[in-house]
Amino acid sequence: MDSLFAQLVVLESSLALIFGLVLLWRRGVPAYIHAFTWQSLVLAAVAATVGWFGRHRELYVVAALLIAVKGLAIPRLLARMERRFASERELAPYVNTATSLVVAGLLVLFGAAVMRPVVMASELPTRTAMPLAMGLVLVSLFVVVSRKKALTQVIGFLMLENGIALLALLGAYGIPLIVELGVFLDALMGFLVMQIFVYRIHATFETLDVDQLDRLRH
Amino acid sequence: MLFALLLAPALASAVLALVVRPYRAAVGAVNAALSLVAVGAALGLGREVLAGRVPVAGPDDVLRADALSALLAFCVSVVGALAAWLGPGLGDDGWDAGQARRFRIFANLFAATMLFAVTTDNVGFMWVAIEATTITSALLIPLHASKASVEASWKYVLIGSVGIALAFAGTVLAYFDFATLVGRDTAALSWTLLRDVAPALNPRVLDLAFVFILIGYGTKAGLAPMHTWLPDAHSEAPPALSAMMSGVLLAVALYAIVRWQAVVRAAVGPGFADEVIGLLGLLSLAIGSLSLVTQRNYKRLLAYSSIEHTGLICVGLGLGPLGVFAAMLHLLNHSVAKSMMFLLAGRVLRRYQTAEIEGVAGLLRVMPWTGGFFAAGMLAVLGLPPFGMFVSEFALVRAGFAAGRPLTIVLVLALLAVGFVGVLGHLNRMLYGRPPGGVPVGEGGRWALLPLGACLVALVVLGLAVPAPVERLLLGIAEIITP
Repeated sequence: MDSLFAQLVVLESSLALIFGLVLLWRRGVPAYIHAFTWQSLVLAAVAATVGWFGRHRELYVVAALLIAVKGLAIPRLLARMERRFASERELAPYVNTATSLVVAGLLVLFGAAVMRPVVMASELPTRTAMPLAMGLVLVSLFVVVSRKKALTQVIGFLMLENGIALLALLGAYGIPLIVELGVFLDALMGFLVMQIFVYRIHATFETLDVDQLDRLRH
Repeated sequence: MLFALLLAPALASAVLALVVRPYRAAVGAVNAALSLVAVGAALGLGREVLAGRVPVAGPDDVLRADALSALLAFCVSVVGALAAWLGPGLGDDGWDAGQARRFRIFANLFAATMLFAVTTDNVGFMWVAIEATTITSALLIPLHASKASVEASWKYVLIGSVGIALAFAGTVLAYFDFATLVGRDTAALSWTLLRDVAPALNPRVLDLAFVFILIGYGTKAGLAPMHTWLPDAHSEAPPALSAMMSGVLLAVALYAIVRWQAVVRAAVGPGFADEVIGLLGLLSLAIGSLSLVTQRNYKRLLAYSSIEHTGLICVGLGLGPLGVFAAMLHLLNHSVAKSMMFLLAGRVLRRYQTAEIEGVAGLLRVMPWTGGFFAAGMLAVLGLPPFGMFVSEFALVRAGFAAGRPLTIVLVLALLAVGFVGVLGHLNRMLYGRPPGGVPVGEGGRWALLPLGACLVALVVLGLAVPAPVERLLLGIAEIITP
């Protein structure tokens, strides 16, 4: 039973990480939005899996929230922004694709190294997947700092949040529901504020290229 | 009851500003009056704590105030009151009704989230509240929509959110071990419980968690090298918001770090946590001080000075009980001094219509009171007697020697000297000389000088002798962090 549980979460976590890597080798924003949507659904599946095998009913609520907020609502808003700024593609990121993928690989390894003490201290069947979650956190962080378009940065940030949520699910079967609700609310509000600013950046700078945001230097 | 009086005024003011459309000055007046209730409640919490009690409230005692909470609640409510009295929407200040309404809604929510962050015992809720501070304050930075302010707020939102997400990762990592120890319920994120069972936690996991927490909350606190958003956001925000961000938001982020420092110290001993905090502090101090010299914009000058002082506070936090005492005194001084300075800078900006140091001359002749306060405040920020920061910096130096860290102290003093010389030159240029043509002479909005003068008096009082209740409160804090 435990081994099936472990295999399932490792499979799902690997998928989540792979969807995160899509941001590094694809160029179009629609592909990023799809990747994020699928990643959120996989995350919901992790929540449900942990809820089933770990016997934590409240995780079904978390799974439902994940599907509603990150699987449906946010992707819709992202798609609307994408249609509005269709010409804004990630053509020349700060770091090119080949280098990005090498860096991502190193980051995943680094994440595994960093998580070693945590994995050794844990006795949960989900512990083997924890390095993958840390990998996703680090790769998303890299996406945020190495991409130029505001929209890509937002998606990178959303994936960072997914990575941390995955970490929480694997390491402690999720955080207490009431705190989780607060986190969800923050995530949603934070995204809405970011969305407002993406529209504003476009209105004031006529591009989503944050490279153009260089008025404030020194 | 005290907690309700602390949190309700800001929430009520925000709701009031939300429902009254269009904005009326009466909303601002009610907001200003209510903000004093919060200050009273914070003082009440301080009195309870000094009487040896620990006020708690709510289910699972989710609200709890010890000496550390009481100090921060006081700082936040005082600066919140300053912003309520001097912010947009009271008197003729050049803001229109829409801007005033937006300010009153979000600034009050901002204050409420900060007050909740420093009075909740649950580290999960503390995180939620600090994340919410980013959301509530970001929308206010471009109150005057301009390219520079949109750019500043984007950097703030993105870097702030990413940073705070890392702090959440750290919280989650610390929770792993903790959940297996005490079980998985809401109380399992209680700071009190966390610190009590800390010795049983896995030291290596906790060290890793602390690195994430320090980088995460450190981003919000403006610690180098994660400080890049700070000069932009603090200089582009409207003055009253800059006062809140610089005066207390940095302090609230430091508060979160200190809470976790206490847990890590209890679990693994002082070594690791104190080292890394001190190191990041020193780096921030260096970057802050050196950047002061080259600034051409006086609001950015104040912002870099905030990085410098945050660094100084962190250096103190890494120096044991005496250092914590000095750091917390410095935090109090900085809250008062920097919020006053940003509000004064707002007056200067409004008169001269430029934030460039070069564009401001003859300030003492144009606005004698504002100029005088600005000069005195700047000297206070530089750590000259008879102002409070002289005392806290002196205490920090003594703590450094007591902790056997003379090299650190020599470095700190050298960096402070660099900043000192740089700022004096800038200040000189602003105060004297011939005012540029077209700048009207004479003070406007005199009543606003009253609260600002009160800040200056407070700084002098703190500089002459630390009042006995404050000293006892600070000793209580040192006891909490470094038992």
